[in-house]
Amino acid sequence: MKIVVLMKQTFDTETRINLNAEGAIDETGVNYVVNPFCEIATEEAIRIKEQLGEGEVVILSVGPDRVESAMRQCFAMGADRGVLINDPALEGGDEYTTALVLAKALSNMEYDIVLAGYQAVDDGSAQIGARVAELLNIPQVTVVTKLELSDGKAIATRELDDGYELIEVPLPALFTAQRSLAEPRYPSMKGVIQAKKKPIQRLTLADLGISADEVGAKGARVKGESLVLPEPRQAGKIIEGEPAEATVELVRLLREEAKVL
Amino acid sequence: MAGVLVFADQKNGTYKQVIYEMLGLGKKAAEHLGQELQAVVIGKGVDNYVAPLAEAGVDKIFVINNDQLESYTTDGYSKALTELIKQEKPSLVLLAHDAVGKDLAPAVAQKLGAGQISDVVGVNFDEQGLLFKRPLYAGKVFSFVRFTDKAETGIVTVRPKSFDPAQRQAGRTAQVVSFSVNVTASDLRQIVKDVIRKTSARVDLTEADIIVAGGRGMKSAENFKILEELADVLGAAVGASRAAVDEKWIEPQYQVGQSGKVVSPTLYIACGISGAIQHLAGITSSKCIVAINKDPEAEIFKVADYGIVGDLFEIVPMLTQEFKKVLAG
Amino acid sequence: MIPTRNTEMYAQYHWLMYTLAAIAVIILCKGIYDHYKLWRLGQPEDRERWCQVGPGLWRVVKGTLGHFRILRERYPGVMHWMFFWGFAIFALGTLSIAVRDHTGLPTFQGWYYLILSLMLNIFSLLVIIAVIMALWRRIVIKPDRIDNKTEDWISLAFVFFLVVTGLLLSGLRIAFTEDNWALWRPLGYFVSTWFSNIDSSLLKDVHQVAWWVHVCIAMGFAAYMPYSKLFHIITGPVNQYLAKETAAQIIEPIDLEDESIEQFGVAEVQHFTWKHLLDTDACIRCGRCQDNCPAYISGKPLSPKKMIQDLKSHLRVAAAKLDTKQQAKGGEIEEADDLPSLIDEIGEEEVWACTTCGSCEEQCPMFVEHIPKIVELRRNLVMMESSFPSEAQVAFRGMENNGNPWNQGWMTRSDWAKDLDVPEWDDEHPAEYLYWPGCSGAFDSRNRKVAVAMVKLLKKAGVSFAILGNEEKCCGDSARRLGNELLYQTLANENIETLNSHGVKKIITSCPHCFNTLKNEYPQFGGNFEVIHHSVFLSKLLKENKLKPNDATDLTKEIVCTYHDSCYLGRYNGIYDEPREILRSVPGIEHREMARNRYKGFCCGAGGGRMWLEEAAEQRVNIRRTEEALDRGVNLIVTACPFCLIMLEDGTKAKDVNEQVETKDIAEVLWESVN
Repeated sequence: MKIVVLMKQTFDTETRINLNAEGAIDETGVNYVVNPFCEIATEEAIRIKEQLGEGEVVILSVGPDRVESAMRQCFAMGADRGVLINDPALEGGDEYTTALVLAKALSNMEYDIVLAGYQAVDDGSAQIGARVAELLNIPQVTVVTKLELSDGKAIATRELDDGYELIEVPLPALFTAQRSLAEPRYPSMKGVIQAKKKPIQRLTLADLGISADEVGAKGARVKGESLVLPEPRQAGKIIEGEPAEATVELVRLLREEAKVL
Repeated sequence: MAGVLVFADQKNGTYKQVIYEMLGLGKKAAEHLGQELQAVVIGKGVDNYVAPLAEAGVDKIFVINNDQLESYTTDGYSKALTELIKQEKPSLVLLAHDAVGKDLAPAVAQKLGAGQISDVVGVNFDEQGLLFKRPLYAGKVFSFVRFTDKAETGIVTVRPKSFDPAQRQAGRTAQVVSFSVNVTASDLRQIVKDVIRKTSARVDLTEADIIVAGGRGMKSAENFKILEELADVLGAAVGASRAAVDEKWIEPQYQVGQSGKVVSPTLYIACGISGAIQHLAGITSSKCIVAINKDPEAEIFKVADYGIVGDLFEIVPMLTQEFKKVLAG
Repeated sequence: MIPTRNTEMYAQYHWLMYTLAAIAVIILCKGIYDHYKLWRLGQPEDRERWCQVGPGLWRVVKGTLGHFRILRERYPGVMHWMFFWGFAIFALGTLSIAVRDHTGLPTFQGWYYLILSLMLNIFSLLVIIAVIMALWRRIVIKPDRIDNKTEDWISLAFVFFLVVTGLLLSGLRIAFTEDNWALWRPLGYFVSTWFSNIDSSLLKDVHQVAWWVHVCIAMGFAAYMPYSKLFHIITGPVNQYLAKETAAQIIEPIDLEDESIEQFGVAEVQHFTWKHLLDTDACIRCGRCQDNCPAYISGKPLSPKKMIQDLKSHLRVAAAKLDTKQQAKGGEIEEADDLPSLIDEIGEEEVWACTTCGSCEEQCPMFVEHIPKIVELRRNLVMMESSFPSEAQVAFRGMENNGNPWNQGWMTRSDWAKDLDVPEWDDEHPAEYLYWPGCSGAFDSRNRKVAVAMVKLLKKAGVSFAILGNEEKCCGDSARRLGNELLYQTLANENIETLNSHGVKKIITSCPHCFNTLKNEYPQFGGNFEVIHHSVFLSKLLKENKLKPNDATDLTKEIVCTYHDSCYLGRYNGIYDEPREILRSVPGIEHREMARNRYKGFCCGAGGGRMWLEEAAEQRVNIRRTEEALDRGVNLIVTACPFCLIMLEDGTKAKDVNEQVETKDIAEVLWESVN
């Protein structure tokens, strides 16, 4: 059983976002972590391997060198090896170009299951999983809260807005992980030590046979123009007055000012 | 003719509020681009569902009927929608950023080799066309993006409650076009084995739009009734802080906070909750926080958008009455 | 005539007596050796324990001869004092006779003989009383902490019959010999009156039999020692000597650079050091640890006594399966298959229930070290098994990613100070003191007020100080106590690097957990700073008149308070007086002590990393302590620790008295008074 996990490294969710002089996000002092949803996907992959008593879990990522520390974190949990793709030509890419690179790498790998987080906590796009599945022409089920495997098939529980559905797909297939799919384990000391020795294969676009024109700013379908910080959360308003007055005023504000009703 | 196409996801012929919001946005976008506003309805026997869309100002409605499309599947709907888009070549396709939209949009985008901009909360109309505003880092910063000219169609998913809904005018009509797609059972690799809809009367906490929560100030299990009454009027879910759960005034599944559920409602009303860090960790993504507490020093007031310092047993029933009055009228 | 008596009556049988003695000694030695083989299974300890001659011997004098800890409880204390000194006198008596008989030295005559005789008799009576007290205690009073086993009855029987036969011998002898000093043995004399009308040759025969019975009981007692709780006679003083009184305060580090280490923490008995295994033989099941354990008292499954006894029995089971001949020195760890699991025996829930308050170690007359065992068991669970309460993972990740267990963004750490005009550490002009608010002072809304009060006090007193701001990281105490040694060392090393790079020498902190680890444990990693707890510092400022409390005249109400001793400040670091001095110096405050104060202080429940763990509602430690405070009829509870503050304030809220009873830190109380 070969499982490939698509992993993204993101800012820690508690990071305060600041913009630098050029209007880009200031990365100084930022703490990088494995995207929480990717961590859940990794945990599920390792759990499947443990349950079956055999298999390999490979972590596949696109990104700069610092992604290695996130990969080692996945190794410490129990993943076996990693593939890290980096190339300066990837600069300025979007979900389309990232998916292209990931799918190309996957097409050179063996896999029965591809797992990914359903979204990344930095951009919240929720596109990569589906795009990669399309490129590989394998079925996908997104926002999965439970996965059951049987002979060559899987039954995935997919979360809906008002319930959930059970979907059966043949393998190989791609699944994107939702929060309740798995609880990521805390790596043991043994895991941390072993993680240091697990191999990471580093690839460039040339290794994958992708030309620079297909990716990066040249190949992107979407381009970012600017960033803006939101208005700071106004200090809360304490509504004065007798209870009856204050209540009426509160409801008015909620409707007219906050527009939440 | 190029158009702005809205995917009008329907359930038994009814459309969620967000569809009308997308039509409202779509109309403005179509006008700006000099194109027509289009909508597509997919399912089995959906011809009768076009009237509300016409009334909301759609110029052309595509109806795709197919037995295989009675229920949503990724493969079925993405194939159908892609065939339509490849034929009609709209410049922009709008879907809701909900469970179906999030699943359908990227599959369609990739089939088209197109770009997708997710979770849009604002749009600027300028000389170049459309500039979309979307949140990054859970709303800690906003990004303005637009499509490049690498693809003919741009896919956009829209966040609910971000745009004004289109107004329905009785009597308005639209051109209705039947579009047939070649979707057969063998196309569908996903087999839906079972669908379970939540039947509980009250909304689930993590998905709720409005939450009314109680803390230590509630003093007893019976007193939670006044919160339930308020929740009923608002169509809200009921939540609780750790203190109330520990005192066994309410079951653990209602606990909101670091060791309970992390929620992101549009409105969170905290009654008798002091605002310990662990509780706040569960509610910071709320759009609007209201606090009612008799301690003016309570931490919750530092994060609340609106607060009333007073006795919740007096104020909450009054709120219920006021909301009842205002929402009925 | 020189007072003495004939001790040569059975001289011709001395060969038999010494043969029996030799047999007894052989059995005794074999027993001790069997124990030694078990202890030997453990890992090596450092030489420190053996080399502390002065403090070690003093502990033995205080603990064994002085019965210092034993006497903390009157009934069993006095009872055991009688047992001990009785046997000491008996030993002295026997020794005196033996020396005289074999060397001819005058060690059993004259005034010495008379006084000794009197003491022997008095203590015989006292020992009999002690036996009766023991039986009464075990059969009638039945305290919760005492369990009864066969060895208890056998031991008491040995003691009882030894003394009774001794008295019998005394009485018989007085009856059939001319003893001018019989009255120096009043009890013996009394017994002899029972035999006044009996034929003296019969008495002599009975005496001989009784003598042999007495000898056999004595020999039997010695031989029985290592096979029963009586072994504490040897292991007790040894354990007192070898004790590390800082065992809980300073946890032994793991050398994480050592790549040969395969086992972190303790999964099996042989992973413990030999001293920990010796502890199980020093434990005499007195149960004082259990009686004072906040986990036990709050209804959790942990009992320190049971844990030690479980370890003891598991050691025997494990030893039977391992090859006990193999030397465990040199770090070779033995493994054995089909060994029942140690953690299953002790219980995972039990291991996590401990708050590391230190009451167990403080109360133990044998100086058993419970807390390092808990931490070692936790280390295995966390670092090897990854099996621990899931709430702890949130705290671990928080410490890893943002340097605090609350997982608040690291760049928000100095937010508490932003409106206060607090000097930030300047390398060019370093302040004299660094004020270290800790994670609580920086991130917890209640404790921020304490940090603010502290800053205001320091400014008012004109102290040269500064804060580090966002560079400060969690001191790591919770990580270490929860068994996550890797995380602890990462944090400690980072903090030490930061502090040293800024040239920080003196640190004031308001958190006893930070205080304990910064002061006592950071030296393990090259962090040597002068660390002062804020209560000590404030007390000093008061003495130097740099802070002057105002008069009580404008107080609107009478303040009656009680001070709650923090475990990590009090028991761990001996700081009891300074917070009380501060309270005394504030006019208008009446201070009432709780019954469990100072070294007997009852834990708030948050130590040992338990601040981050869940508790069942009916098992809350803090409620019990809050009730104890409320019982004193106070309207103010004073603490000197951020965890205690949170716990006790929560306690007043849970009991719905938080409007009438305030909970404050000592710094807040002082600030209100000097402001």
